[in-house]
Amino acid sequence: MSEPRVDLAVDEPAGLGLPDVAAATARRRRSPARIPAALAGLVVALAVPLYVDAFWLQLGLFAFAGAVAALGLGLLLGQAGQLSLGHSFFVAVGAYGYTVLAAEGGTIGVSQQAGLALPPVVAAVLAVLLAGVAGLLFSPIAARLRGIYLGIASLGLVFVGLHVLFNAEPLTGGFNGRNVPGFTLPGLRFDSTSGEALYVLGVPFGREEKLWYLGLAITAGTYLYRRNLDRGRPGRALRAVRDHELVAGIMGVPVTRYKAYAFLISSMYAGLGGVLLALAFGRIVPETFGVALAVEYLVMVVIGGLATPAGAVAGAVFVACLPAVLERYAAVLPGLAPAGAQGVSPAVAARFVFGAAVVGLLLFEPGGVTAVGDRLRRGVRRALNRARGP
Amino acid sequence: MNTSGTDGDLALVVDAVTVRFAGVTALDGVSFAVAPAAVHAVIGPNGAGKSTLFNVVSGAYRPASGSVRFRGNELTRLRPHQIAGLGVARTFQNIALLASATVEENLLLGRHHLTRAGFITTALRWPMAPREERRDRARAAEIAAFVGLSDKLDAMAGALSYGDRKRVEVARALCMEPDLLLLDEPVAGMNAHETAVMAHLIRDIRETLLIPILLVEHDMGLVMGIADRVTVLDFGRRIADGPPEQVQRDPEVQRAYLGTGEEAS
Amino acid sequence: MTQFLQLLIGGVSLGAVYALLALGFVVVFKASGVINFAHPALLMVGAYVTARLTAAGDVPFTLALLAGVGAAVALSLAVQRLLVHPMAARSVIAVSIMTIGVDVIVQTEIIRRIGVDILPMGDPWQDSVVTVAGVTIPQTRLAALVVGVALIAAFFGWFKFSVWGVAMRAVAEDPETAALMGVRRARVSALAWVLAGLLAAVAGLFITVFPSPGLEPVTAAVALRAFPAAIVGGLDSTGGAVVGGLVIGVAEVMTQGYASELAFLGQGFHSVMPYVVMVLVLLVRPSGLFGTRELHRV
Repeated sequence: MSEPRVDLAVDEPAGLGLPDVAAATARRRRSPARIPAALAGLVVALAVPLYVDAFWLQLGLFAFAGAVAALGLGLLLGQAGQLSLGHSFFVAVGAYGYTVLAAEGGTIGVSQQAGLALPPVVAAVLAVLLAGVAGLLFSPIAARLRGIYLGIASLGLVFVGLHVLFNAEPLTGGFNGRNVPGFTLPGLRFDSTSGEALYVLGVPFGREEKLWYLGLAITAGTYLYRRNLDRGRPGRALRAVRDHELVAGIMGVPVTRYKAYAFLISSMYAGLGGVLLALAFGRIVPETFGVALAVEYLVMVVIGGLATPAGAVAGAVFVACLPAVLERYAAVLPGLAPAGAQGVSPAVAARFVFGAAVVGLLLFEPGGVTAVGDRLRRGVRRALNRARGP
Repeated sequence: MNTSGTDGDLALVVDAVTVRFAGVTALDGVSFAVAPAAVHAVIGPNGAGKSTLFNVVSGAYRPASGSVRFRGNELTRLRPHQIAGLGVARTFQNIALLASATVEENLLLGRHHLTRAGFITTALRWPMAPREERRDRARAAEIAAFVGLSDKLDAMAGALSYGDRKRVEVARALCMEPDLLLLDEPVAGMNAHETAVMAHLIRDIRETLLIPILLVEHDMGLVMGIADRVTVLDFGRRIADGPPEQVQRDPEVQRAYLGTGEEAS
Repeated sequence: MTQFLQLLIGGVSLGAVYALLALGFVVVFKASGVINFAHPALLMVGAYVTARLTAAGDVPFTLALLAGVGAAVALSLAVQRLLVHPMAARSVIAVSIMTIGVDVIVQTEIIRRIGVDILPMGDPWQDSVVTVAGVTIPQTRLAALVVGVALIAAFFGWFKFSVWGVAMRAVAEDPETAALMGVRRARVSALAWVLAGLLAAVAGLFITVFPSPGLEPVTAAVALRAFPAAIVGGLDSTGGAVVGGLVIGVAEVMTQGYASELAFLGQGFHSVMPYVVMVLVLLVRPSGLFGTRELHRV
């Protein structure tokens, strides 16, 4: 074999070919409609549990769990440009971490199951930290790998993780999984217990209602955190690493350290998403945390918009809700067969939509749905200006 | 060449630097020194190793042997961001700006190593972060004015003319508050007018900031006009080093640029 | 000793199959600069068409196999022409993520059609074995070895000596000069994708015959092991792809064969072994065994 070729390009750009956050942010800051719109959205979100049934609330919780994880992946991929397909591994660390830390240890049926019986809040925080540590441990390997190698290496992480989940039965319950301990805040149980009914504005507040507010609060907090990061110095540095790694270093950005930060924060986000996911499911099995889930998060950020936090949330809501919505209305939608019958089931149809959306958006509008929204808004404004006349 | 610990009051010392890759010797024992507050040009035919030299100084390549010293620090042992932290700033031959960000955002990247707002302080909006940001934006505006780009701060960097983008690169390097400025072909591809503007700017920088400027260039007019000292490379080797008029008359230099048996006009 | 030899031969034959997969993957990467995450989908399509045709009853196996190869090649070419080529100016990561979308679409459809069935390939070897010097090898494994070696040898001969092979190497090495010398990069890319489809379909056959029960949704996960094989060898090294495939194949079969001794590593460890090997190699060689190394790491 001939002498290995060496890569000489110093100032060769990489990046994702994305319209940048900075410009979009600068434009949006000046739009006066932002704050009232955000407030309106918040009021709606707060009022939802008062009007909507448990099915939609449960779905909402899955959406929140996805949103938090997607916000993390968006930071890693959209801002730092690191294609990591291992996100579901860190989500699993969060989900199983919470479960093991919060569960009562002992014997269930014929098997021994570990549990530290910590207060759920403490367990959740520790699970997130655990996911962060895992991210930190992975980041030195990740930093040494060129972008594309990282994508495939991180796949390996998922498979190794799955293997551990299937085999470490005392911790994970193996193939059959484990029940997830209910969440409690000091003085407030989230799981419905008989004889203890909480009423707010005349509406009974059960498990789904309380978890909705928990999910909303966590999503809002993580959204704001990420948005502030993106707009400030860390976001600028990460985008420089994404678009021109060597140049970023020469400009003074400690590249390896920032990649490590990106991994740390995104895996903590993933871990937090994992905690919410565990609470949403009520019972977790290893099968959930495979490559399909990692691809799902990728689909979320691509559909919503890779570079912006709003995109991550929008994409998560879409991906979480579409299958359930299609299933609910399968009878009225043409071409869809009910589950079990021949033909295209709602779940399958949703996957087709996701795949096609990824291909289509990357071909034509890599900024995702939020960028499409931006373009529409600008188009409308231009049309209005023209209509107003000279 | 001075290889002891004291480089006197020389700003940058390149000492017997050799770079080899894939069987090619890009730089072969190159040595020269840059005096403080001087404009020092490195010239040579294509492929002579000029950009390689810059990459070694800014930390992108590690040489096979030799040393590069700046204010007592051995640069060849440092990572690029550490070299930036010492006050070494550079521009790039092929313009390395974020095309889809505004000019201001590009300039702010240059301030990175001077500020400290991190992943916690920025996200939680500790007072330090917005305060630093205000200072940074003010300074970036000042530098933009100095360079003549005040009216373009909010423009997308990718939408600017070639000449303007080159000036943004210089401005970004200046935002790093450098103690040594490396300019990689600052007037490449420019017409006479743009070249004159850039030459003027380089002189302004030297006079205002009093920092040493190392520049790589093809344009003889620019080099002879503003350089205090010139180093000539050919096939990775130094073939001349001295004041511009002296180098211009050097027969080795003429041969490298024009081939054997001909005299420079 | 017999067990070791048996495992070794099994590992080498599986490794040859992985090598075919990895080779197609690497050839596409070298020619288009793209990580084709839809590579497993090519394999699934080829195997599916072959299985359905042989099951239909009156289609001879060879014809069905050719049809499967044709289907995989057609899909591959369609992806290249319609999706990858228009995105030629975009970043590698963007195009690679796009192929993930393609993979989702194709795999969803194939898995929907397979359902809960396991589709046999209808191959001529079935579960017959061959015994040589006390070592028992399934005929399918022997066929995999022979075909794999033949295809790989043919590929390298073609790569080195034929006009198109040289053109492909030129494009991978120095696209601008190649273009100046009249090599049409788009044509070379298309050819690379055609090759990938061909190699994937052949690999798909040997992954789904004995001792595997047939084509089922989980076959895609086996196809995924092309990726660590390619990484181990170095993403832009065709020779590396073959070495990587062999390493992964031998490691997997050995781990499976000695599973009882390795019980502490957990059940089913052999299916994770390719990824473990990949991570270990990357720790020492971040660009794979034979991949292009980055010079400017300070």
